Amino acid sequence: MDKMMFLLSEGLKNLWRHKLTAFTAVFSIFLTLTVAGSLIVVSDNTGKIIDYLRDKYKIEVFFKQNTSNERIKEIVKEFQSIRGVRSTTVITKSDAKKIFKSQFGENILDIVGFNPLPASCVINLVKEKKDKLNLRPIIDRLRKFSEVDEVNYQGRLINRIENSYQAFVKVSIILLIIILIISILIISNTVRLTIYAKKDLIKSFQLVGATRAFVKTPFILEGIFHGLIGAVFASVLLLVSLEFSSNFIFTITGVKIDYSFLNLFFILSSLGIVISFLGSNRAISQFLK
Amino acid sequence: MIQLDNVSYSYEKGGGVSNVNLTIQKDEYAFLIGPTGSGKTTLLRLAYMDLFPKVGRVVVNKYDSSKIKPKKIPYFRRNIGMVFQDYHLLDDRNLFDNIALPLHVMGFQKDEIIDRVKESLEEIGLDSKSNHYPNELSGGEQQRACVARALVKEPDIILADEPTGNLDPVTSFELIKLLEEINREGTSILMASHNYNLIKGRGHRIIEIQNGVVRKS
Ligand SMILES: Nc1ncnc2c1ncn2[C@@H]1O[C@H](COP(=O)(O)OP(=O)(O)OP(=O)(O)O)[C@@H](O)[C@H]1O
Ligand SMILES: [Mg+2]
Repeated sequence: MDKMMFLLSEGLKNLWRHKLTAFTAVFSIFLTLTVAGSLIVVSDNTGKIIDYLRDKYKIEVFFKQNTSNERIKEIVKEFQSIRGVRSTTVITKSDAKKIFKSQFGENILDIVGFNPLPASCVINLVKEKKDKLNLRPIIDRLRKFSEVDEVNYQGRLINRIENSYQAFVKVSIILLIIILIISILIISNTVRLTIYAKKDLIKSFQLVGATRAFVKTPFILEGIFHGLIGAVFASVLLLVSLEFSSNFIFTITGVKIDYSFLNLFFILSSLGIVISFLGSNRAISQFLK
Repeated sequence: MIQLDNVSYSYEKGGGVSNVNLTIQKDEYAFLIGPTGSGKTTLLRLAYMDLFPKVGRVVVNKYDSSKIKPKKIPYFRRNIGMVFQDYHLLDDRNLFDNIALPLHVMGFQKDEIIDRVKESLEEIGLDSKSNHYPNELSGGEQQRACVARALVKEPDIILADEPTGNLDPVTSFELIKLLEEINREGTSILMASHNYNLIKGRGHRIIEIQNGVVRKS
């Protein structure tokens, strides 16, 4: 217990003893986390927009004139078992007639003498977040039914949205990984400089009987403090700039950026701790062999 | 307690010790005497497993240099107080914390650490300097600090490398007597020195080393 307290206080004191390293490490973690945090907020909100759009995706299926309502019911039941279909709404010939009436104010029977409006079915698609939504197989299966006359869908638009979203997610992830690796390297090199400057001290530690773990722990704790401090700064910066920009963006585009500050802080702190742990652990382990 | 079997060690650029056979019994107080450059420090570093023999083996407290795993070395050192010729004090903390370090390493409770450090500072006559940093101590004070750091562990064995090198004759003599007292309480001591006058006639075993070879023991 007292040993843990000692190691903890060593770590804290090191923070002060190695001010320059602390500054460099905290600053690079701060930059990394600010970028990472922005990416997370942006992709989170893009995800929401995509969800919203996917909610609007729909396929309209028109049935041939002489298909009975019973047969339509059976077919629609089969539609529901297709992968990617979330819900279906059947519009029978008489429903269509009513819709016509409500939209044009006139009875179609009075105009043409019979009901030419086909029965149809509106299919809503599932919203699967990360996966790309592929319409082709769904459309093909719908077309196989001999009773189906025509299938309408916004294929081009959906494809374009899906493709850009996929590309965006991929680029963000790659960017994030590159930034994390770079900052781990920066940190481990910064920490290594301190360690070289302290090599006599480390030797003295070992000469009084300190184990590897005992020598390492203060350095690693010091690194974890860097990570936490960097995360606090990055979170505060993001919070302030999000508060400012979200109003601004809302008035221009009507899109409300939403995010949970606690979540963001939690993610950034964890990232910060992991980065600085890996960085300082790499440095000290290489030194101690 | 300390046993060297046909030990040879040579540095890359020459120098070292060769064919050393030596046994220090439990409760013994032995001096290692020899001119500068004769291999005293080398021999003590071998006994502290800071160096490993190229030939032969060193056995201390049942730890065998030819078999010990690197992981075990810190534990081996916990029962040995080493006074380094070049002190190895940590310049980033004051005297008190320097002397407390081995106890923190060994996992002592805070209260016990404070008691023991105070005690050994008093013994060595540095209690008024406990918040000085090493660079705020005189050479002799640093040397005594290093002795205090070895004593605070209450070790089975003390290896002292020229612990009086920077002390005036009176203080040197006091240190010899302090070590005699500690030796009476059951700690084996091996002390290197080139000051024969300081130790002659006190009835201790004297080991002579010259050019890396043990002459007389
Ligand atoms: N790290 C080293 N690298 C190369 N040679 C060394 C090293 N340390 C000591 N030597 C050489 O080994 C020989 C023995 O050195 P050692 O330090 O053991 O002598 P010593 O008896 O302790 O001398 P002193 O009384 O001056 O402390 C010397 O000739 C020295 O030059
Ligand atoms: Mg020497």
